[in-house]
Amino acid sequence: MAMVVVVTESVPPRLRGRLAIWLLQVRAGVYVGEVSRRVREMIWQQCTELCDEGNIVMAWATNTESGFDFQTVGKNRRIPVDMDGLRLVSFFPEAGENAL
Amino acid sequence: MADTPYLPLKPLMMKDRVSMIFLQYGQIDVKDNAFVLIQENEVRTHIPVGSIACIMLEPGTRVSHAAVKLAAEVGTLLVWVGEAGVRVYSSGQPGGARSDRLLYQAKLALDDELRLKVVRKMYEIRFGEAAPARRSVEQLRGIEGARVRKTYELLAKKYEVEWKRRNYDTDNWDLSDVPNRCMSAATACLYGITEAAVLAAGYAPAIGFIHWGKPLSFVYDIADVFKFDTVVPIAFKIAAKNPHNPDREVRLACRDAFRAQNTLAKIIPMIEEILAAGEIQPPEMPPESVPPAIPPAESLGEAGHRSK
Repeated sequence: MAMVVVVTESVPPRLRGRLAIWLLQVRAGVYVGEVSRRVREMIWQQCTELCDEGNIVMAWATNTESGFDFQTVGKNRRIPVDMDGLRLVSFFPEAGENAL
Repeated sequence: MADTPYLPLKPLMMKDRVSMIFLQYGQIDVKDNAFVLIQENEVRTHIPVGSIACIMLEPGTRVSHAAVKLAAEVGTLLVWVGEAGVRVYSSGQPGGARSDRLLYQAKLALDDELRLKVVRKMYEIRFGEAAPARRSVEQLRGIEGARVRKTYELLAKKYEVEWKRRNYDTDNWDLSDVPNRCMSAATACLYGITEAAVLAAGYAPAIGFIHWGKPLSFVYDIADVFKFDTVVPIAFKIAAKNPHNPDREVRLACRDAFRAQNTLAKIIPMIEEILAAGEIQPPEMPPESVPPAIPPAESLGEAGHRSK
C-alpha cells in the first residue's frame, strides 16, 4: 500500500466520477488515496482509457531514490525527463512562442 | 501582499537527500524562487536543489549568481566537473566549517600518534580486520596499495574485464580504456557526495590522514572506505558490458547503489567513528572566548550547515 495522487486536467466528467469511487477528491481534479500496486494499475488503466483529450498525471510513493515515481497520459507542456536516473519535469514553452 | 513574512531557507540533513544530479548544456538560474535549468528553446526544468546532496555541473552549463546563492543557502554542493565526471574544479561552500570540528580534525592529523590511530581505524573498517601492529602510516600505505591492486585484479577477473592498472590521462580523456573511464566516472560520483557530507558535517576536505596535500585529501580518505563496496564493482560491471554510453550507465548504477546501501546516511556517522579512534575529545570553548552576539538559528541540517 502506498500513497497515490492523481491530478487531472480537462478530462471528461465520467472519469472524474470514476476516480472518486476509489480516491478522495481534495480539490477540483486532484485525487488522493492509499492503494496497493494492483489497484493503482487498475486506476491507471481507467485513466488512460477514459482520458479523451485531457491529460493526467499520477504520482505514488515507492522505493526510488526520490521516494516516489509518476506517470503521465495526454498532452501537457510539462514533460517528464530522465536525468541519469532521477526523474524531473521540463516545462516547454507554448507552441509557436519561440518558433523562428 | 506587501507584508509577506520573510521565511528563511533551511538546509536538510544529508541522509534525507537524493545523492546527485548531473546537469549539462543550459543556463542555471533562479526563477520565481525556484532553481531552474533553462535549455534551448526556453525549456525549463525545475531542480529540487534543497533535496539533493550535490549538483554536478558538466561542460556547457552557466550558473547565475542567484542560483549559487540559493544552492549555498540550502546547503547543496555545486561541483564543476569535466567530461564524464572527471573533476575540473569544485566550489560552493555549503558547510559552514565549525571551528571545534576543524581544530579536532587538525589536532588528530598533526599528532603522529593520533594520526596513526585514525589511519589504523580506516584500514580496520575497510578490510574488516585490525591493521597489523607496529606499522607506520607509510608501511600501512604499502600494505593497502598491494591489497587494492589485488582487489582490482580479482574484480576484473570476476566481471571478465581486461584490466591493466588504474590509469587515466585527464588531458586526453578519450584515450583511457573503458574500464578506467568507468572507474573515473564512478569515483567522481562518490567523491561528490563524500565532499558534500564532509562539508555538511563541518570538517575540512583538505586535512587528510592517508592522503596529504590535496584540496580533497580527506574526501579521498573517506571515499576509500566506501569505494570497494560501492562504486568499484559498479565500474567493472558496466565496463564488462562495454556500453555505448558508459558514463550514463555508471551514474545510474551508482545512484542505485547509493540508495540500496544507504550511503548518504552512512558517511557522516562513519567520519565520526573514524575520528573517534584518536580517542580525544573535540576541544571545548575556552573560558575567555565569547559566543556569537546573536545566537545562530536552529537548523534542520547538519552541524556544519550555515543556516539563517
